[in-house]
Amino acid sequence: MQYTLENLVIYPLIPEMFIALMAMFILLLDVFLTDAKKKLVPALSILTLLTAMIISFCAVGDAPVSAFFNYVIQDSFAAFSKGLICAAGIFTIVMSQRYMKGESHLGEYYVLILFSILGMMLMVSANNFLSMYLGMELMALSVYVLVGYQRDMLRSSEAALKYFVLGSLASCMLLYGVTFLYGVSGSLHFSDVAKALSHHEAQTSMAVLTGLVFIMAGFAFKVSMAPFHMWTPDTYEGAPTPITAFMSVAPKVAGFVLFIRVLHDALAPMLNEYVTILSVLAVLSMIIGNLAAIAQRSIKRMLAYSTVGHVGFILLGVISATEEGYTAVLFYMLIYLFMTMGVFSVLLLMRRDGLKGELLDDFAGLIHVHKGYAIAMVLLMFSMAGIPFLGGFWAKFYVFMSAFNAGYTQLALIGLLFSAIGAFYYIRVIKYVLFDSEREAFNPLSDKPLQAVLVLCTLFVLVSGFFPDPLIKVCQAALVGFI
Amino acid sequence: MIEIGLTSYLLVAACLFSIGMIGLFLNRKNIITVLMCIELMLLAVNINFVAFSHYLNDINGQIFVFFVLTVAAAEVAVGLAILIAFYRNRRSVSIEDMNSLQG
Repeated sequence: MQYTLENLVIYPLIPEMFIALMAMFILLLDVFLTDAKKKLVPALSILTLLTAMIISFCAVGDAPVSAFFNYVIQDSFAAFSKGLICAAGIFTIVMSQRYMKGESHLGEYYVLILFSILGMMLMVSANNFLSMYLGMELMALSVYVLVGYQRDMLRSSEAALKYFVLGSLASCMLLYGVTFLYGVSGSLHFSDVAKALSHHEAQTSMAVLTGLVFIMAGFAFKVSMAPFHMWTPDTYEGAPTPITAFMSVAPKVAGFVLFIRVLHDALAPMLNEYVTILSVLAVLSMIIGNLAAIAQRSIKRMLAYSTVGHVGFILLGVISATEEGYTAVLFYMLIYLFMTMGVFSVLLLMRRDGLKGELLDDFAGLIHVHKGYAIAMVLLMFSMAGIPFLGGFWAKFYVFMSAFNAGYTQLALIGLLFSAIGAFYYIRVIKYVLFDSEREAFNPLSDKPLQAVLVLCTLFVLVSGFFPDPLIKVCQAALVGFI
Repeated sequence: MIEIGLTSYLLVAACLFSIGMIGLFLNRKNIITVLMCIELMLLAVNINFVAFSHYLNDINGQIFVFFVLTVAAAEVAVGLAILIAFYRNRRSVSIEDMNSLQG
């Protein structure tokens, strides 16, 4: 294709451009607003995300459209994940209102969220290693800063520093892998790489295998698969709680969607090799995630390890590499978004004088303090554990079924075993909430927006448990044009 | 005149990358060194790209290098800013002092 202005297609990228422009506008606006009117900034950010979400749903047709000389692609797969990412962003902004009150330069906080979402949207649309890298770095750099946003607190800046060092290491490894694929195929486009790899000599060459291993390691860092999860617990614990919620959903969605795109579009000829690597990573993630979570006293650390465990389960769907598997992955991420946001909003509602509400002990006897929060927490924890009939059960069910149907029976059985082991620490939280006596008297917050998020998430988990079919249909429709 | 082939360039890059990686994991003293190790690894990536690009007679690799350089600059800026925030709280840039978060 000729790189001329006439051939330049930009309209599929309108949602991204809209977010970029609005983010810059909000950054400027924030400077001119008086303190009384600063409330406009989060409202405008939410509006931006909502609009971008609607535009990306409207812009997508049946067939994938590529833009910027095939550097990015817009299909229903990307649109669905953009919806998830924007939804996570909106929840995060709503949840931040109370928590971040009193921080300085709060306008930049929302702008950084917008920029990280812009990066993620580029990631899920990437069709070339260059656009993939740029999207990933835009996301990563913004999230590093967001993690360290409470800069007067040691734990926040330390978490940011740890995340920064390991995140940069991950990008380096990913890039180093990409260089080898470029060297073998002579192109950075996913489809050209796949074409070059379809020859037998290419598949067994040292360069391609090295490239594959480094790319896998890079992605494993980004979506925190064990044994590349070292940063996860520390970063989750130190980050401001709304950002922890954001980080455990949005970058994971973007990472997995990009991962699936790279595996399916560029590395498909290497199916046997990558399945071997991913199986090891999946089993390790399930083991480490579910076992290490048992030993945690801080609920944020526990949720960090639980994320690692969930990533292991999601990987089963990626490994199956079938339409059913990818549908299961999308469905899992959809349910996971609501479960996680719900749990974190309970955490935020439990917050007392600064740091409290983050230890398991703080949840003791919640049922005597506030019935509503306790019931929501119990439902969400049951859903995380995969108890029928809640959303989390179906998420796990479809992932295991896809692995089973694709012929990975052992992996599905291991997954089943560890989801049973994992149920222990979720149910322990429920025991604290329901059957322990209150340690010290406290009044939980009653913050309307946070309660709204909690009610919405709990209802979603409940309803999706009884009617998973329409959601599965939506996830299947999202894959049309991709497979 | 000895011709320097593609393999030599790749070897140099691999050495640089390994030095960076080893430095990152063995270094127990200073976080600034960690930042330097990351830079070293990115440079190794750049050498790889330029070498392949020249060998394949394809310009895309060299364009990628410019993007990597630009992003690396932004990354170091963010990294140093975070490091300063950490230093203000901890009064130290030693890796051993990054120990307040433990489970």
